[in-house]
Amino acid sequence: MANQRVVITGMGAICALGIDAASSWAAMREGRSAIAPIARTFPDPLRAPIAAEVRDFDPTTHFDSKKLLLLDRVSQFALIAAREAVSQSGLDFRSDGLGENTAVIVGTGVGGENTNDEASRRLYGENNPRLHPLTIVRLMSNAPASQISIEHGLTGPSFAVVSACASANHALAQALHMVRNGVADAAVAGGSEACLTYGVLKAWEAMRVLADDTCRPFCKQRRGLVLGEGAAMFVLETLENAQRRGATVLAEFAGAGMSADAGDIVFPSEQGAARAIQRALADGALNPYEIGYINAHGTGTPANDPTETAAIHRVFGERAKSIPVSSTKSMHGHALGAAGALELIAVIGALRDGVIAPTANFIDPDPACDLDYVPNVARAQPVAAALSNSFAFGGLNAVLALRRWQ
Amino acid sequence: MSSVQATVFDIIAKESGVEPSKITLDSTLKDLEIQSLDAIQIIFEIEDHFKITMPDRDPNFDTDSVKGLVEAVEKLVAAKDAAASAS
Repeated sequence: MANQRVVITGMGAICALGIDAASSWAAMREGRSAIAPIARTFPDPLRAPIAAEVRDFDPTTHFDSKKLLLLDRVSQFALIAAREAVSQSGLDFRSDGLGENTAVIVGTGVGGENTNDEASRRLYGENNPRLHPLTIVRLMSNAPASQISIEHGLTGPSFAVVSACASANHALAQALHMVRNGVADAAVAGGSEACLTYGVLKAWEAMRVLADDTCRPFCKQRRGLVLGEGAAMFVLETLENAQRRGATVLAEFAGAGMSADAGDIVFPSEQGAARAIQRALADGALNPYEIGYINAHGTGTPANDPTETAAIHRVFGERAKSIPVSSTKSMHGHALGAAGALELIAVIGALRDGVIAPTANFIDPDPACDLDYVPNVARAQPVAAALSNSFAFGGLNAVLALRRWQ
Repeated sequence: MSSVQATVFDIIAKESGVEPSKITLDSTLKDLEIQSLDAIQIIFEIEDHFKITMPDRDPNFDTDSVKGLVEAVEKLVAAKDAAASAS
């Protein structure tokens, strides 16, 4: 059973751009940015009062009141995205027995932060020493993975993966290798994040990396990152199983590469990033010349963008400038532990539709960022294979490699 | 040396581990090999000490001199004192 080819047969998403994968992808194709002023007010004003929030979201239309009591916003997002992915895959895990050994691997950066924020407010703000008895089950970082496994009856290996902004890519990499090696028969994997609380926003503000206008990756006028929220989930299974049941294959999940910078806790490393890219190519048995699109980590910070650019030069040499590289964070914001999963929607869209989502909000090029960033307008161009980069604070890198399926 | 300058020098030395004798008005954070994470801690400690708010983004964060930083702090402290005496 070892070394099975792995394919993606279902995807689901919820983010500021849309409440499902199709509408999120449609918005990305249009180059529409969902970054906007934060509607809520806080005890102290935010220096950068903008984010890519999931707006007009009513959880009661998705969950009954008893279930909702168990769910932090991060688990709500995860369940909604997983439902869509499982539904699209056409798998019925409970009746066909596949759920017996299907894995659930979900990345999250901060877990049940809304619950944590509410608990802190009661304790310190209201001097109310009594917390809701379900506080722990809501806030634990494995809650999204656990809730998905419960809802779909998935009894394979299941857990959360935490690596800040690379959590989703690490989770997807883990799921890929499990299914490829026969440790699990299938997997539901991705990332979820609901990080737009007063505490998290203030903590990011203190790092002085937030833009107060919008997110402009790779652009000379970039002023930093803009936080976002949401989730995206994917159904992974072996090619053999997908073909046996006549499933629609969205893309082949060819490989994943991971590395640690083992250097600065926040300043990214060109070598660390390049190492992860090279390992993803090797793991996916891809030649660099096959890569027709790179979804960049592209946070829009002064440090990331030139470093990522240099890493791409290092790996692809003279070809680097001819590969379209875009950062969809310019549209769905930086959803931390969900970022790589949301960006995989853009990668699968590029492979399936032959359309490369742009880097929105682009004004002038930065001399230190000299690649083809597909500014502002999507490009129709067939893509045979693509990469998706995630480089986290803490120097933890994970890059996914996918191939078009036809 | 003004008291603001002395305090800023102290904070830089404490947060970055740079020898106080190496810090001059003409040094830049880059000369002193101060990393970005140390730099934001220096700004945080300065804000906390003087009860002021520094601008969120200074494009010359890495290349500007300690002199520029001291002058910015002096200006903000003076503005704060003026506001306090006016009210």
